[in-house]
Amino acid sequence: MAEPPRHLLTVRDLRKAFAHHEVLRGLSIEVDRGSVVAVIGASGSGKSTFLRCLNYLEVPSSGEVWVDGVPMGFSLAADGRRQPDPPRELARKRAALGMVFQQFNLWPHLTALQNIVEAPMRVKGTARREAEAEGLALLRKVNLEEKAREYPARLSGGQQQRVAIARALAMQPKLMLFDEATSALDPELTGEVLDVMRGLAGEGMTMIVVTHEIAFARDVADRILFLNDGRIEEDGPAAQVLGAPASEACRRFLARALH
Amino acid sequence: MLGNAERLVWGNRELILEGLSVTAQVCVVAFLLALGLGLTACLVRLYVPLLRPVAIGYIEFCRATPIFVQLLWVNYAWPEVFGFPYTVMQAGIVALALQSSGYLAETFRSGIEGLAPGQREAALAVGLTESQAMRRIILPQALLTMAPSIVNQLVVVIKSSTLVSVIAIPDLMYQAMRIVHQWFEPIEVLTSVALIYIALIFAISATARRFAEHLRRRYGLGGET
Amino acid sequence: MFEALSQSLDPALFWEYRQTLAEGLLRNIAVFLLGAALASAIALGVGLARMSRFRALRAVAVGHTEVFRNVPEYVLLVWLHYVVPILLTKAAGARITFDPFFSAVLALGLAYSGFLAETVRAGILSVPTGHVEAGRALGMPGGVIARRIVAPQAARRMLPEALNQYVSLFKATSFISLIAVEDVMYRVAMVASYEMRPLPLYTGAALIYCVVIITATTTIRLLTDRWRRRGWV
Repeated sequence: MAEPPRHLLTVRDLRKAFAHHEVLRGLSIEVDRGSVVAVIGASGSGKSTFLRCLNYLEVPSSGEVWVDGVPMGFSLAADGRRQPDPPRELARKRAALGMVFQQFNLWPHLTALQNIVEAPMRVKGTARREAEAEGLALLRKVNLEEKAREYPARLSGGQQQRVAIARALAMQPKLMLFDEATSALDPELTGEVLDVMRGLAGEGMTMIVVTHEIAFARDVADRILFLNDGRIEEDGPAAQVLGAPASEACRRFLARALH
Repeated sequence: MLGNAERLVWGNRELILEGLSVTAQVCVVAFLLALGLGLTACLVRLYVPLLRPVAIGYIEFCRATPIFVQLLWVNYAWPEVFGFPYTVMQAGIVALALQSSGYLAETFRSGIEGLAPGQREAALAVGLTESQAMRRIILPQALLTMAPSIVNQLVVVIKSSTLVSVIAIPDLMYQAMRIVHQWFEPIEVLTSVALIYIALIFAISATARRFAEHLRRRYGLGGET
Repeated sequence: MFEALSQSLDPALFWEYRQTLAEGLLRNIAVFLLGAALASAIALGVGLARMSRFRALRAVAVGHTEVFRNVPEYVLLVWLHYVVPILLTKAAGARITFDPFFSAVLALGLAYSGFLAETVRAGILSVPTGHVEAGRALGMPGGVIARRIVAPQAARRMLPEALNQYVSLFKATSFISLIAVEDVMYRVAMVASYEMRPLPLYTGAALIYCVVIITATTTIRLLTDRWRRRGWV
């Protein structure tokens, strides 16, 4: 049962319940290679949980996630039977999806460069010299080469988030997940992070961006999902979802978000 | 008085140094034992649900009983119950270690629990396994933030160690009292010994404070002592 | 070993000597109360001196805190009891001795004044400067600001930590028998040698201390939690 290669990401009937509360109520989408999908919705609509289920930081209650033809959380044996992934295998698969967090989550005891080379060295076994050369190239890409030896405490929020993006890119992910990457930043610092994200989209990186920056979604996203109460209520090109939404909830959300 | 100081303190310098070296041995061994016991108690409390009540009981007992009472208890009651310790030296070390292990277990726990969950998640998201995340991300940070309070616990061990002289361990305090009883001149010897302790403990706790300040400035970690 | 374990608990023995043991415990409580009062009074003065405009006063306060936080309580106890009376005798020209009870209160009071002074200072520093400025903007004089704005807030913030320091002080009263205060451990040792049964006596003493201290710390934690919920500390 090989996945059709056209889609980089396939999600089938994804559900997630915490205790007695169902946060995701059956989400199914397919994401093309190189496309940028923005996910919008009110807080509590399940956006963050959706992202965290894609890379199995949260294990979904049911449903499937396939990345580039590889299923997350289980493997298919030769006879077609499913075997749950051992921790190391799941960790390896998880690295195919880069994730950027709202709170950056840089490791404070490591310098910017050490934050970036940690995973390539420990997970992929890249040699230090090589990992550091790549790390410096990534820092150059996010315009922070001169901060390589600084600890996170000495960097601004915007700089920390750019380092966090470089850290995710260092594992050469097939797909990047952004979880409200600019929400924790002062307004004057969001621009530098959005510029880096725009640049990535321009290079053809496949991205899923949970955001409340409607303007950014309109400019950069090929496609917008509107989540409401754990379901996808709108799914279409930016112009359609933002300009002529079919659902009442989406119209109300946009009215609030744009004023 | 200076003549007295020369006669009583300088004249007994070998005894005093001997006592200081016994104090150092007792404190170092007790502290290392306390680190091991404390880490074990903390990990059991956090990760072994079945034995959790035992760990909590142990930690609470160690913290709630005064060191002097524990010292006498271990020295006089343990040999009858457990057939151990065999020497006063062992009894002193075990009592000091018991006391501190309770405090250290709580220090370790707050260090591990105090870390933001995002730190672990960021490690998993780039593909580190749980055990790699623990070793490379969680533990180094926890150790750094806990270092100042761990050092402060060493200070507590040194202070408490003055009491082991009571069960005839020949530490600095024991030698001081011996000299006092020999000459009936307590002023110079006791004052010198008090100053030695103050200087020693001040040096250690000042180092801990500077280290904590360094951590706060460099990594933005913790900062409280 | 199991026989020894069952022998290690003997409530009847404690009941038999209840009066002498209780009298000993009362000594501990007396030393604790007086020591705590002394420590609090000194700590308040020293904590305020740390904030003083006068450099010399600040230096003295820092010196006090460093000395008494860093000296082992037992060393201080012995030094006060044996050295200070001789020094006073030499100065006064008349023989002066300290009652063990007096030495114990003085030593523990001084030792814990060092820790408590830090608590006082932290409490005062925790009051936001904006509150003082708001008082000033309303034209309140300095004394009124200190009494009505700073003191109540600082007191609430230092209370939980101060209570824990008092518990430590109570634990420290366990070794005042070493300068022959006839406290509870003094009497435990006496009964133990008289009955020649150290096992149940020392085990019982450890358990009793343990129960008393855990009750105290649990009460403090519950109270502190309740105060926090009410936004009181």
